[in-house]
Amino acid sequence: MAQMDPGTLVTIVTIIVAGAGIVIGAITPAIAEGRAVVKALESIARQPDSAGDLRTTLLIAMALLESTAIYVLLVVLILLFANPLLDRFFT
Amino acid sequence: MLGVFPEVVFTVAGIPVRDTVVSTWMMMVVIVAVVLLLRKVKPTALEMLVTFLYDFITEIMRRPADPFLPLLGSLALFVGVANVIGLVPFITSPTRDLNTPIALSVVVFMAVHVYGVRVMGFMPYVRSLASPIFLLPLEIVGQVSRTVSLSIRLFGNVFSGEIIIAILFALVPLIVPLPLQGFNIFTGLLQAYIFTALASVYISTGLAADSSSESVSKPQVEEE
Repeated sequence: MAQMDPGTLVTIVTIIVAGAGIVIGAITPAIAEGRAVVKALESIARQPDSAGDLRTTLLIAMALLESTAIYVLLVVLILLFANPLLDRFFT
Repeated sequence: MLGVFPEVVFTVAGIPVRDTVVSTWMMMVVIVAVVLLLRKVKPTALEMLVTFLYDFITEIMRRPADPFLPLLGSLALFVGVANVIGLVPFITSPTRDLNTPIALSVVVFMAVHVYGVRVMGFMPYVRSLASPIFLLPLEIVGQVSRTVSLSIRLFGNVFSGEIIIAILFALVPLIVPLPLQGFNIFTGLLQAYIFTALASVYISTGLAADSSSESVSKPQVEEE
């Protein structure tokens, strides 16, 4: 570890952080979306008349929840394909 | 970078033109040609499309969609076709470049204020943005962050779909990417739906000050 050159170290850390980040960033929005869907389905089962209203609201809410996962994906893609830290070592 | 990022095709007077811009031009030609053809051959199909968009926007905004249909309907058409056209070989979908979604969401950001001023008048609209004056910074943060998230959501969805297909294509080029391409069509159309829905929600919240009393009182009247 002591004689490892800093570029390699940054690469290793980047890969680990990207993997861990996408895992955590995929799990949490999935749980949140699941809760939202459960509640919406319960409400539709209770009041089938409100299905149309609920569907629109649910889709918009899901899109907002999903976007947190997309942000994580974007950060991971930047880390993997356009890492600004690596340019310091490999110019 | 192996087609991960959009490439510069040629430069006009020092301005680089990327392949996504070229495919946007192709897409515009395709849309106009299809609409002109449909108007000659089968006007009912065109009418169905416009009626569908009208009903959809009316349902979300809870007010007649007439003043907003030109903007929001063409946004829906543009985003939908742009997401799906990436399936055609040698054409990169325009929404794959972060600049296209940013331009679209800046248009939406402007439209929110233009419609707000047009409906409420200039001073009442500015006053409604800063109704208690200490909420103004929060309002500004909200406006900027939702514009950014609108563009990044569209870009991230399309881009991640294409990256997954590219990786699968490098691994198993034969049949395996096909179901994912079908899924990509679904995601693209869903994103067009969501983009339009969110744009309508943003615009209708910009008009909220004069409609809040109206929309609250209306359902009560119907119930009675």
